[in-house]
Amino acid sequence: MSAPRTLLLSLSVVASAALLAGCTAATEPAGDPVAGGTLVYATGDAEPGCLDPHVGGNYPQALISTQYLESLVSKNSDGEIIPWLATDWTESPDGLTWDFTLRDDVNFTDGTPFDAEAVKANIEHLKDPETASSTGYLAVGKIEGIDAVAADQVRFTLSAPDSALLESFSQPWVSIQSPTALEREQAVNCENPVGTGPFVVTDWVKQQSITLERNEDYNSAPDDAGRTGPALLDSIEWRFIPDAATRYAALQSGDVDVIDNAQPNNISSAADVATIEELDAPRPGAANRIELNSGKAPFDDIRVREAFIRSVDVNPGVESLFFGTAERSYSVLSSVEPAGISTPDVFTTDPEAAKTLLDEAGWNTIDSDGYRTKDGERLSLTFPISTNQSIPAEQSLFEQIQASAKDVGFEVTLQPTDLSSWYGALFTNEYNVVSAPYTKVGADVLRILYHSDSIIPAPSGYYANLAQLSDPALDAILTTASETSDASERQELYAEAQRIIVDGFYVLPLYDQQNHYLYSTSVEGFRALPPVAAPTFYDAWLTN
Amino acid sequence: MTVSTDTPAPASVSTPATRLRSLGWIARRVGGGVFVLWAVATVIFFALRLIPGDPVDAILGGPGSQASAEAVAQIRADYGLDQPLIVQYFLAMGKLAVADFGTSYALKVAVAPYVLTQLWSTLVLTLASLVAAWLGALALTLATSGRGRVARALGSGLELLAAAVPHFWLASLLIILLSNTLHWLPPISVPGPLGLVLPVLTLALPLTGFLGQVMRESLANAYEQPFVLSARARGESEWGVRLRHVLRHAALPGISLSGWAFGSLLSGAVVVETIFARPGLGRTLLNAVTIRDIPVVTAVALLSALTFIIVTIATDVVDRIVDPRVTEVAAR
Repeated sequence: MSAPRTLLLSLSVVASAALLAGCTAATEPAGDPVAGGTLVYATGDAEPGCLDPHVGGNYPQALISTQYLESLVSKNSDGEIIPWLATDWTESPDGLTWDFTLRDDVNFTDGTPFDAEAVKANIEHLKDPETASSTGYLAVGKIEGIDAVAADQVRFTLSAPDSALLESFSQPWVSIQSPTALEREQAVNCENPVGTGPFVVTDWVKQQSITLERNEDYNSAPDDAGRTGPALLDSIEWRFIPDAATRYAALQSGDVDVIDNAQPNNISSAADVATIEELDAPRPGAANRIELNSGKAPFDDIRVREAFIRSVDVNPGVESLFFGTAERSYSVLSSVEPAGISTPDVFTTDPEAAKTLLDEAGWNTIDSDGYRTKDGERLSLTFPISTNQSIPAEQSLFEQIQASAKDVGFEVTLQPTDLSSWYGALFTNEYNVVSAPYTKVGADVLRILYHSDSIIPAPSGYYANLAQLSDPALDAILTTASETSDASERQELYAEAQRIIVDGFYVLPLYDQQNHYLYSTSVEGFRALPPVAAPTFYDAWLTN
Repeated sequence: MTVSTDTPAPASVSTPATRLRSLGWIARRVGGGVFVLWAVATVIFFALRLIPGDPVDAILGGPGSQASAEAVAQIRADYGLDQPLIVQYFLAMGKLAVADFGTSYALKVAVAPYVLTQLWSTLVLTLASLVAAWLGALALTLATSGRGRVARALGSGLELLAAAVPHFWLASLLIILLSNTLHWLPPISVPGPLGLVLPVLTLALPLTGFLGQVMRESLANAYEQPFVLSARARGESEWGVRLRHVLRHAALPGISLSGWAFGSLLSGAVVVETIFARPGLGRTLLNAVTIRDIPVVTAVALLSALTFIIVTIATDVVDRIVDPRVTEVAAR
């Protein structure tokens, strides 16, 4: 359905871009920041069910909650942890006790003071089964005890050392809310969570928009913000526009100022439009990648896994389908993760080598359709695709992968499905190849994705280790890394872990998890907050 | 159409006997409607559970992470998902019988008031589209029928084209033309009548073509009728003949089809509401099916079915008023 529409709109966009190119003026230097005005943001992500990111905990919640909630710590663009609501912290030598010093001059927008009791109430809220938290719950999993030592001192006691604790605390899913507000019914708190952020949620018209207004008393900007005091914008109108072509059309017509989830064809044509700018902010954690299910045949054989990776050529697809907006990744980790190692040498394409490997593995006969067989069984791979998570360009890339794997003798069956059926296929182990996004701050994401503990399904059925990688040596490295505070030692351990993962051919990295924002040149000072690359409008102002 | 004369309405319309028959007719229709609602609810209930996956994911905000065992167990108990399927079915039906639609898994709000707000938005869209389609079809057919071959060919060609255009394509075309090129209208739905123009055009144009085709045929039939000749003989003007005599005949199949047309508008709303970012039942349904928000899917399906049933009954009633012969045939 969307293919002809996308084509048509891209044609029109090319045409209008050509028109505009004729009358392009040099971009004027931005003047001094001006206060006032309403910024219209259009998101293509799902409308959150609950505006409190403790409940559940997914990316759409992170996108918006960054405007009204704040965390204990943040990250700067160099990937270093910096103070936010907490000013200082110390870890005990055994790694089991953490002391945090908190700001003593901050209030929640309902007047409740921000203090150690508030932090305690938030961690308890995350751990309470009634909250039904998933992401935030995992982040605070090792915290056993929380003590409000003084109004501005909180102490966490851990069950095991957690070198990822600060990174976990920087995530929006672990942001701090007013304890008074948390005591309300969950449904009420979902509609109107109360934080310390630069904006306040004032209205939510379902399927239409959320209105955010300036917090006049705001004084808790993170250390890397360019300024202090209240935000410049009066308000933000947060609109839900699910259709990518419409979203871009609304940006072109000036009805909205910023859009997220910009599609490759739009980003490409926007490059020629003088009034539109792009912000590329890759999500942290894992790169977009294809996982090879090593838990069952035929990928339980390393030769077959290597043959698959040798048989597919990802680069031409990435170049043509993404219009130069995505760069090929050769790392399991996102390019914004300092611990990531890139290994292009592992992922070279070589169909002849692939054929030899398959011959060695016993897949040495070819049936009438050109597919390899072994003992009369065809070399077939099931590849469920979530059409809610994979954009059309990515789905086309999978089709190209399917085609090049066929040349070597793999039969790849693509199964595009809705989100719940896709999870169903994963839970019941009915997949050989799968691509699943995962966002988490820091290299500890490797432990979630590749530690053998993650093959054990959660009660909901979900397990994160979709490659079903089970290697005691790797487990040991990942556990040690998560308990090691020394930065360079951690770095080495994570490099070693990545080496094991890529050398075992469990994963085919594709490109960074896409986070492309397009925005009007009338918006100045817009940036993505480094922890999970969610937008922040605290620094932003409108020039018109 | 086997009508051969311009029969006047029978005088017997309001006798007690026919009134009783009419009541019985309405009662049968209402009973049928209730059965349809029960069938819809049952099909939805089992269909949503046949899809692989777990509704708990929808409740937990889904994807990407693992919830604690306690959280999942808590939710199963809270939502009655730990009960056997057949028990869940009877519990669900019992609640539906007293119009208790429960709480949305994803939105964490009471379903009934939420869906009713969305219904209002969709009704405004579909009813405006129905009216626009009718006006368009009447204007097109009256202007081009009974004229020369060229006018007729042009008219029916336009209708064929309009009827064949898919909504998503038309929507894109309208956005490019009226919004991006001419800058007349916003590409997204904004509050107020201006934001309604593009969505209504998108839904109404294909329907205009369809209604126009049907009405053109019965118009052509009506022109052959003796009463047209007699009206012309009385010196009635060409437009007088069209508006006062031919139109009533031409409108009949259109009215009968309006119930069906309304249903097609409801399904078209899924596409239109998504493209123009307009709140409504269609978008609600799409979101809810994707994440398996069972209470919302059930409520939307039932409400759509109910609306469709009401409109179909209303269409039949209007049909009887415009053409009392229908009553005679149906009541026998």
